[in-house]
Amino acid sequence: MRSPITSLPAKNGILFGIVLVSALLIPATGAFAGILAPEAGGGTPNAEAIRSLYLLIFGLGCIVFFGVGGLMIWTIVRYRASKGAVAVQVHGNNRLEVGWTVGAALLLVLISVVTFIKLDQIKNPPNSSANGLSTPQNASFSSGPAKPSLPPNGRSLNIDVNGQQYLWRYTYADTDTNNLNNVFSYEQMVVPTNTTVTLSIRAQDVQHSWWIPELGGKFDAVPGYTNYTWFNITEPGVYDGQCAELCGRGHATMIASVKAVSPDEFKLWYASQKASIVAAEKQAATARNALIAKDAAALKNAPSADAPAAAPAPAAAVDGKKIFVAGVPATGALACGSCHALADAGTTAAVGPNLDTTLKGQSAAMIKASTLYPNKLISKGFAANIMPANYGSSLTKAQLDALVKYLNDAVNGK
Amino acid sequence: MTTTSAAASTTAIPEVVTNSAAPRPSGWLSWLTSTDHKRIGIMYIVASWMFLVIGGVEALLIRLQLAVPDNTLLSPQTYNALFTMHGTTMVFLFLMPMIAGIANYTVPLMIGARDMAFPKLNALSLWLFIAGGIVFYGSLLFSPAECGWTCYAPLSETAFSPSNGVDSWIFLVHLVGVSSFVGALNIFVTITNMRAPGMSWGRVPLFVWTMLTQAILLIISIPVIAGAVTLLLTDRHFGTHFYDPTNGGSPLLWQHLFWFFGHPEVYILVLPGFGVISEILPVFSRKPIFGYKAIVAATLGIAVIGTLVWAHHMFTVPLPFFLMIFFMLGTYLVAIPTGVKIFNWVFTMWRGAIEFPVAMLYALGFLATFLLGGITGIFLATFPVDWQLHDTYFVVAHFHYTIVGGAVFSMMAGLYYWFPKMTGRMMNEKLGRVSFALTLGGFWITFLIQHSAGLSGMPRRVYEYADVNNLGTYNMISTVGSFILALGVLLTIINILQSLKNGAKAGPDPWRGNTLEWFTPSPPPVNNFDIVPRVRSVEPMQDIRRQIERQDRVGEEAGVAAGS
Ligand code: HEC
Ligand SMILES: [Cu+2]
Repeated sequence: MRSPITSLPAKNGILFGIVLVSALLIPATGAFAGILAPEAGGGTPNAEAIRSLYLLIFGLGCIVFFGVGGLMIWTIVRYRASKGAVAVQVHGNNRLEVGWTVGAALLLVLISVVTFIKLDQIKNPPNSSANGLSTPQNASFSSGPAKPSLPPNGRSLNIDVNGQQYLWRYTYADTDTNNLNNVFSYEQMVVPTNTTVTLSIRAQDVQHSWWIPELGGKFDAVPGYTNYTWFNITEPGVYDGQCAELCGRGHATMIASVKAVSPDEFKLWYASQKASIVAAEKQAATARNALIAKDAAALKNAPSADAPAAAPAPAAAVDGKKIFVAGVPATGALACGSCHALADAGTTAAVGPNLDTTLKGQSAAMIKASTLYPNKLISKGFAANIMPANYGSSLTKAQLDALVKYLNDAVNGK
Repeated sequence: MTTTSAAASTTAIPEVVTNSAAPRPSGWLSWLTSTDHKRIGIMYIVASWMFLVIGGVEALLIRLQLAVPDNTLLSPQTYNALFTMHGTTMVFLFLMPMIAGIANYTVPLMIGARDMAFPKLNALSLWLFIAGGIVFYGSLLFSPAECGWTCYAPLSETAFSPSNGVDSWIFLVHLVGVSSFVGALNIFVTITNMRAPGMSWGRVPLFVWTMLTQAILLIISIPVIAGAVTLLLTDRHFGTHFYDPTNGGSPLLWQHLFWFFGHPEVYILVLPGFGVISEILPVFSRKPIFGYKAIVAATLGIAVIGTLVWAHHMFTVPLPFFLMIFFMLGTYLVAIPTGVKIFNWVFTMWRGAIEFPVAMLYALGFLATFLLGGITGIFLATFPVDWQLHDTYFVVAHFHYTIVGGAVFSMMAGLYYWFPKMTGRMMNEKLGRVSFALTLGGFWITFLIQHSAGLSGMPRRVYEYADVNNLGTYNMISTVGSFILALGVLLTIINILQSLKNGAKAGPDPWRGNTLEWFTPSPPPVNNFDIVPRVRSVEPMQDIRRQIERQDRVGEEAGVAAGS
């Protein structure tokens, strides 16, 4: 009495779906990227492969959505209760049941097969092109059992990506084994085009996630682990992204960007970056040495401790000022004064913030926290990881308290 | 008729005789001390809706902050606390107790039992859940957790989250965890032991099947999350380092444990929804469910495979490739039984005579919404594509489509469907329709566009964003939608309150239902059933109605014969 099950409107639905999908896909690949499909543009092969995989699933998804949705709407309209309508009491149909289970499975098999085909392009970096930067063999920051995928010729520009609250630090591998003299930068990574760049992604405090949408997927920076990815950008430009894993209050502002320039420009940038880092380090070292010399002289001129005339110094066993100026070389506590200017102590170094101005009005607890955990709160205009983070262990509790008291008194008055 | 039956029974039948029925206790104290599954169910529902309002207000604040780029309405601290509370509230304090409430009320009635197997444990479950809510919201007085509902370590360790907010989150998980665990045992024992005579496994209503499966999933997964948060607690306060990488611990341990619970949890939330839909669609299509056995098999299949796919939430952490492939294929596998159920539901309506009360409208809203949520799930299961979409607004959109589409809409359908049974009164259909239209429309406006926000590079859990790639427009649309959605929910709340007083009297079986709860008066007496009928099919009420018709016909004929 009603149309038999086989003459479904599903055929129309499917046809409609295909037409609609193709209508949608054409613009989607171009100007509408971002509305219906991930952003594209860097030209790196892995991102392109991921995108085409996405578009395939998107197409199939549209067909299923409009097909099933159409069938649903048609059913609801066609079989709404009306006068004289009688519900047909069927309990099921095994052939249909098997049919759609197999149908769904086939769709998924199709997606799996295409995924496996694309996997090579997604996972394995190609060699850098001839017009890329010629990179040395093997220089890399790899650790742990997992190894980065390297191009067939083993050559890539390897960059260590270190996520920290709320900043990305990039350290460029070089050929020597000393990792302390490497070129580094923050926030913006500069890379040469047409060159395979491999990233070793780590985190030093909480979990972060490295993500530049146009350069492919995201890779979590998990403390204690190293994660790897790569890209090979063909289009010069700046590609923006940001941390994608909740990492605290500054998560939203933990941005990252990759600037792709020609290999020649890259070499220039690299050289100038190296020069300025070396210069800054030299400056800090001279300041440090000068301070140590001055401090040594001061110690020599000071009345000797066992001179009877000297003030009885019971509690003054620990002298905050002395620690500030000279540090505690025995335990590896660098002198604060080698980096910070403080009028009371007569230091003028500018590696770190001027403490007379920045500590004005701050509580002792705050000063203590900044000293113990310098990387938790980065002062504006300064980078993390310069101030040593070892004062919790290199100073005793009494020394620390004395130092903090000294600073507080010196800046905020007694 | 009467004379013949009286003549037939000559021997005394043993029966319980009471001279006076104890009046039904009333007053608030009788509610607080009640062990009646119906009252406990209603208290569950009422409490969960209070938390829905709180969680909803949190959601609106989140949307307000995101309405325009670079907004400074809320501080990052407040914002992070808000989404942590929103997620935690909606999962643990709204949906799970809402489902528990509906199940508490209906499962014993549907299987013809007089109460749950362990009425006192049942009350314990309720009060543990409420205690959990209070402990969690107590943290508003100092500083609430800011680590998201997933509370990843090491961000949730004391070094990075020194405030006690995380601790109150941990205690919430403990309390509602024990509550759900005990509740699951209760449901399991009730269903396996207390079914009406004749209700063999092939005749158990589908909602009851899904609750049984949900109970099993809870029993498997709750101990794992309870253990995980206990380790976090000892890390935070007793010097252990389970999740601390600087001392040999592993942040991935947390993620594995959390998602071993977290993935089954999504089935814990949606399977009962599937059950509700499988009850409502046949009733209003006036047809039996299409493929009863297939749906039961799919439900059990989902439970088995669903416990083995958790790491699809971890495709972006360092995992070996073969594991990613394993979890991708496993997720596809579990998508099949989930996906094909949609066909079962559509074919249940096929060639029916469909009526559209509000309960049915919500069921249809469920179908459409869950369909899209299921499809976007395939994107996320394909791990290279997930690398692009993970932790963006695409994922936020996906899980709202599945959780709100799958669990909330179906529970709304259930609420409109069973409200007459619980209160004896009908809800206002007209207001219900308006509410439904706003809820469904508002939902789609809010969340459809969020896919695009994610594809345009917006990560989740950011309190502000720059106005690039049209993000400002997308988010404004989403914010407008969220207020429409909220208005829809508000209208349902008003509807409930009004109908409690003024709703039309429902009678025992206003929908011509299929299952046993419609056999007893609305609201049912304390003991539910004076006589429990023998069950002969999945649709005992159909049988009973047919039998009565037959008897009437016989009676009429007899009457006609006698009269002539
Ligand atoms: C090697 C250089 C270096 C040394 C040595 C050093 N600091 Fe710093 N310090 C920095 C830099 C760079 C910053 C800014 C970046 C940051 O906040 O971590 C900083 C920041 C600070 C701040 C935060 C200032 C603000 O803006 O609130 C305080 C306080 C401070 N240092 C105290 C100390 C004390 C006390 C010592 C000695 C125990 C010390 N520092 C030793 C380089 C140094
Ligand atoms: Cu999952």
